[in-house]
Amino acid sequence: MSFESDLLVWLPYLRRYARALTGDSAWADDLVQDTMERALNKWRWRVDGNLRAWLFTLLRHRFIDQLRARREVVMEDGTDLPAPGGEVSGLLLRDVQQALYRLPLEQREVLLLVALEELSYQEVAGILNVPVGTVMSRLSRARERMRVLLSADADLAHARPVLKVVKDAP
Amino acid sequence: MTQRQSPSALSLEPGDDLRPLSALVDGELSESERQAIEETLRSHPAHADKVAHYREQSRAIKALFPLPADVPSLFIRRRVPWWRWAGVAAACLVLGLALGWMLPALMMTEPAFARRADLAYVTYAPEQRHPVEVVAADQLHLVQWLSKRLNRPFVVPSLQEYGYTLVGGRLLPGESGPAALLMYQNATAERLTLYVTAASQSELDIKVLRHGAHRTVYWASRGMGYAVSGQGDEASLRELAADVCVALGGSVSQWQSRG
Repeated sequence: MSFESDLLVWLPYLRRYARALTGDSAWADDLVQDTMERALNKWRWRVDGNLRAWLFTLLRHRFIDQLRARREVVMEDGTDLPAPGGEVSGLLLRDVQQALYRLPLEQREVLLLVALEELSYQEVAGILNVPVGTVMSRLSRARERMRVLLSADADLAHARPVLKVVKDAP
Repeated sequence: MTQRQSPSALSLEPGDDLRPLSALVDGELSESERQAIEETLRSHPAHADKVAHYREQSRAIKALFPLPADVPSLFIRRRVPWWRWAGVAAACLVLGLALGWMLPALMMTEPAFARRADLAYVTYAPEQRHPVEVVAADQLHLVQWLSKRLNRPFVVPSLQEYGYTLVGGRLLPGESGPAALLMYQNATAERLTLYVTAASQSELDIKVLRHGAHRTVYWASRGMGYAVSGQGDEASLRELAADVCVALGGSVSQWQSRG
């Protein structure tokens, strides 16, 4: 079916975004699995439009649902992802990763949708269901915060513990 | 959402709207806006540094999260929502109950006229004193009477070649209006009946109703149901019924194709 093959095109992007958003590859895989199932079951009711944006919207809704069932705990580095080596444009990837997970979630998701997924402000506003102006404000704050975190000395960067969202103990 | 607002040490300088810087990085500006911002940046090196940093952030973030290559291993189930399963289960239950209740009725697949014809045979064939209302001697009257009551031309088929002669006929209440019953008898006093009435099925291939020693062979043609009932072997009765069908203006081509 053509919808399903269209879906497969966006699967790698969904997975990448889910990993970046959660900082947790197992959770990300659950999230993508859930999202794809939702998409397969709901696509008949979907109004025509941007499939990719719709998939990201579904994923975000699943993410927010699952957040409620989890709780934050203090973690050293904010992510389960392996610490990356190397640097890009003079930025140590390890530092960028840590800074990213120090962002408030609402800033991180906007930054990732724009900088990683290269979606337009309009598309992001649709996914988050907020005005474009809000997207721009959050994005601006996210980038500036990243800049400050990456420019600051180590003491400042580690001034407060990182919160990591994990599954609630049963 | 999940974290508190930033400590004051990380706050931006108040009063600076940095949103155009991001818009520049992301290509969200019109050409004239872009030129204006770039012009401004030349005299504001601190902001130019920020733009450069934002671009580096984007490159670093892309480097951190490459597109995964192992995606095809993802297993996608097509989940059926619980309410759909519940709906199917409920529908099956209802269907099962309905079938259990209606099955005896469904098993009686023969049309009502065939059952009535069979019953008429059982009732009147053994009758010695009053097997018919109008005797064969009065055949013209019989034909006119039955034609009128059935509201269509009625023909009394001849069964002489099978050794049966007409005894007479009677009018009976049918499923949807009056029914005509003709009775025939052979030399050994075996009787046949021909039952004719309006039927709900306009066309019906020949079928046989078997009760005890007698058989009722029935069919429908052009809105009329016909049934021939009698003792004896089924094959002869079918053959006779085919002739009756033709005599009454029906077609037996479908019957014969079945041998």
